[in-house]
Amino acid sequence: MIDILSALPMPLILAAVGGILLFSKRDRFESFLAGARQGLGTAVNLLPTLCALIVGVAMLNASGAIEWLANLFSPIASAIGVPAELLPLLFTRPFSGSASTASFVELLERVGADSFAGLCASVIFATSDTMVYIISVYFSSVGIKHSRAAFPIAGAVMLFCIFFSCFLCRMWFF
Amino acid sequence: MLGKIFGALCGLSLLFGAFCGRLSEVAAAIPDGANKAVEVTLTLLGMMCLWSGVMQVLTDAGIIKKIARLFAPFLRYIFPKAYKTGEGYEEICATVSANFLGVGNAATPFALCAMKKMQKHNPTPEKADDEQVTLAVLSTAPLTLVPANLLALRRAAGSADPFSIMIPVWITSLLCVAFSLLLTSFLRIRWRFLRTRALKTDD
Repeated sequence: MIDILSALPMPLILAAVGGILLFSKRDRFESFLAGARQGLGTAVNLLPTLCALIVGVAMLNASGAIEWLANLFSPIASAIGVPAELLPLLFTRPFSGSASTASFVELLERVGADSFAGLCASVIFATSDTMVYIISVYFSSVGIKHSRAAFPIAGAVMLFCIFFSCFLCRMWFF
Repeated sequence: MLGKIFGALCGLSLLFGAFCGRLSEVAAAIPDGANKAVEVTLTLLGMMCLWSGVMQVLTDAGIIKKIARLFAPFLRYIFPKAYKTGEGYEEICATVSANFLGVGNAATPFALCAMKKMQKHNPTPEKADDEQVTLAVLSTAPLTLVPANLLALRRAAGSADPFSIMIPVWITSLLCVAFSLLLTSFLRIRWRFLRTRALKTDD
């Protein structure tokens, strides 16, 4: 039941698109191709940033620094219920999509996508976003200098997201 | 910002590598990392192509507008000023539905457009108003139905069941949205209180 529910949205959306392609009077496949081409551009443009940041994270991991940090923080981390392996992801997530993608990929490779830390990281990666980047871009685009409580609130929500994701994964999977 | 992050990563890894005597591993990680970057881009490429195409079909067929209309009755209470003036309200609904369907890249232009229109009714142009703060906060932890990129990355990392995290993702994103709304509405009440008190002391 749960398996079906989880797997359902994506095929349903594709079925809706299939229906549109079948029954629309206009040629909607042109729309699909235009959109896909745009997506291609976005994805290809990720490579320059990703290649720098993934090299950086891979080097840091190979140097033993991440392991050392994780060991250092593991007593605190296990006390508050957040796996220490998540640290690089948590540090990069608020600032940059590419840097957090790099740490996320590195983390999945190191601990496995279906391990406890991998599952927690997946939920955090999906439900949080690059808050510092988003707030500064949104406000600076219209010339706002004073962001009021935006940063503290977004930070609080992110902390909540981190703790709750780990708590929920522990309840849900184990 | 990214330059500083990359610089710090390089410096730290060299220092640590030298300390722990793992410089050769660090060196090996450089070509490995560059290869990995291509792999990750390729993983995301297929999914982003597919999903952007799907979204374009849904947009052109008017389905996105219908989904935005589903959110509209709720968003009315969260953005009363934008709803009343009509400035930016449609874009807010579009931002929420784009995030909901897992195309964050498509949400950003809508949100920027909404910000611009809301700025017209902002009494203090240097300072963000209540609804602008709410929109920014909501975009940092959006409601998500299909985290398309995450599913692609999990599959590429060898997950036996990449979809297993869907329900935890839904629960967490719903609660994060509820928590952001709680905090922003709490602050709104406090701001209103401070404003009325400031007016009273002026008398």
